[in-house]
Amino acid sequence: MRLALRDPHTWLVMLAGGLLGLAGVLLALLGNPQNSGICVSCFLENSAGALGLHDNARMQYLRPELIGFVLGSTLAAVGFREFTSKGGSAPLPRLLSGVFLIIGCSVFIGCPIKLFLRLAAGDLTTLTGLLGLVGGVWLGLKGLAAGVDLGRAKKQRDGSGLWTPLLFVLLLLFLFVRPGFVLFSERGSAAEAAPLLIALGIGLLLGAIAQRTRFCVTGGLRDLMIMGLRAPLFWGFMVFVLVAFTVGLATGTFKPGFYGQPGAHLDLLWSFFGMLLVGSVSVLIGGCPFRQLIKAGEGDADAGLVVIGMFLGAGLVQAWQIAGTAAGVPVYGKIAVVLGLAFILLNLLFFRERAAA
Amino acid sequence: MKDRFDILLGVLLLACAVAVVGLLAGTGSQASQRDLAVDKALEQEIAYQAKVSFLERVYAPVLELRQQGQNESALLKLDELSRKYPTEAHGELLRGEILLQLGAKQKAISHLARAVRMNGDYVDRYSPLSRRELIDPLLARELADVKRQSAENPDSRPLKATLKDLYYLQGRMAGGCE
Repeated sequence: MRLALRDPHTWLVMLAGGLLGLAGVLLALLGNPQNSGICVSCFLENSAGALGLHDNARMQYLRPELIGFVLGSTLAAVGFREFTSKGGSAPLPRLLSGVFLIIGCSVFIGCPIKLFLRLAAGDLTTLTGLLGLVGGVWLGLKGLAAGVDLGRAKKQRDGSGLWTPLLFVLLLLFLFVRPGFVLFSERGSAAEAAPLLIALGIGLLLGAIAQRTRFCVTGGLRDLMIMGLRAPLFWGFMVFVLVAFTVGLATGTFKPGFYGQPGAHLDLLWSFFGMLLVGSVSVLIGGCPFRQLIKAGEGDADAGLVVIGMFLGAGLVQAWQIAGTAAGVPVYGKIAVVLGLAFILLNLLFFRERAAA
Repeated sequence: MKDRFDILLGVLLLACAVAVVGLLAGTGSQASQRDLAVDKALEQEIAYQAKVSFLERVYAPVLELRQQGQNESALLKLDELSRKYPTEAHGELLRGEILLQLGAKQKAISHLARAVRMNGDYVDRYSPLSRRELIDPLLARELADVKRQSAENPDSRPLKATLKDLYYLQGRMAGGCE
C-alpha cells in the first residue's frame, strides 16, 4: 500500500508538520531561546518556575505557547464536536510517566520536537538522542506487541475532561493579570521570549491543527515502524524537519557541528538514555509531551494527569538538579534516568497481559 | 439546565467566575499589591540586587589592587576570599580576568569556564554581571589557535582541557534553553 495522497487528512498532517517547523524556527527568531522556538519540556520548566514550583530564577516564565497548545486543542475539539471526557486508565502510572517524560527530556535538554529543531539547526550532539528516541519507541512497541496495556480509557461524565483546559484558562488569566506570586525571569533563558500575543496566537493555531491531525513526533516514528512509509503521521513529521531545516538555512541559523551549539551538552551517552526513556514512555502512554497537551485539551483526563505529572517533573528537575546543562548531565540526572528506565521496565512487567499457559 | 437547581448552580458558578476575575484583576492595582503583601518577583529582584551589591563590596579590594597594577597581590587577596566563600563564582571570574591580563591564557580560560558553570549570569545579556564583551573576543582570538595546537599535540591533556572549556564557553554564548 502507498501513502493516501488523495486523502485530505494526509495533506492536513503535512500542513501541521510544516507549520510546526516554521513556528519552531520563527519563534526563536522572534525572541525565544536559540533552537528552542518550541520545546514543551523547556516551556513546562519555565512555567513551573513561574508558578513557584522551583527557585531557578533564570527559568521562570509562563510560556504563552504552552497555554495556546491546550486551549487551541480545546477550541478545535469543541468546534468540531470531538470534545469527549474520558479517562480512568492507570491514573497513577500516567502521572508518574509525566514526571519521567520531563526527566528524560531535561537530561537531553529538550522534548522530541526540540530534538528535531536542534538537529535541523545543525546540532550534531542530538544524534545519540535521536538513536535513543528511536530505540525507546521500538522498546515501547515491543512491549505493546507483547501484550502490555495500561487499560482502556472509559467515557466519563462531561466535567472530568474539562479540568485541564480550565487549569490552562487560569494560567492564561495569570499571564495577563500577573499576580504577585507568579514569577517572570529578568535574566537567563526564560527572559528570552517572543512577543506574548504572537506566541499565544501561534500556540493556539498549532494546538488547533494538532488536535485535528493528531500530530505527534513519537507517533510519527511509531507509525513508521508499524505501517512503513504509507503512514501520514511519518510524512507530517518529515515535513516538519524539512521545513525547520529549510527556514533555518534561509535565516542563517543553521550551523552544523558538535561544538558550541546552543543549549546542548556533550554527554552523548546520557542524551541517548534520556531520549530512550522519553520514547518508551511516550509509546506506552500514547504520545509525546506535545501530544499529551493536545489530548488533555480535547477532554482526555488521563492525558490531563500526564500533564500534571509533567508540571511536577518540571519543578523537580530544576529543584533537584536533575536537568542537564551545557556543562553536562549532573549525577542526580543520571540516577533519575536510570530510575525512569526501571519504572518503564516495571510497568512493562506489571501491565503485560500474558496468554494463558 | 434541566431544573431550578441546575439554574441556581449555573448562576452561582457565574458569580464565582466573575469574583475570581475581579479579585485577580484587583491585584494588578498598586494599592491591593500592598495589601496582598506577596510579591515574590519584587523579593527576588531585591535579593538579586543585594547579591550584586554584596559581590561588589566583598571583591572591592581585589578591584582596587588591580587598578593599582598589583595583580599578584590581587590574586593573593582572591585566595583569601575563596577560603571564606569557596562556592562563589565571582572569585573565579576575577581570577580568570587577572590571569588573562597576565598572559596565562590556559589557566584564565579554565577559571572563566568554571565561573560560568557556577553562575550563568556572566554570559547573560540582561545581567549586570555579564562578561559577554570579555568572553566573545576571547573565543574569537583563542578558539582556532587552541584547536590547531591541540591537533598538533594530540597527547597534550592541558590543551584538550582548554579546548573543552572554550567549547563550553562557545555553547553558553550561543544561548539556548538551560
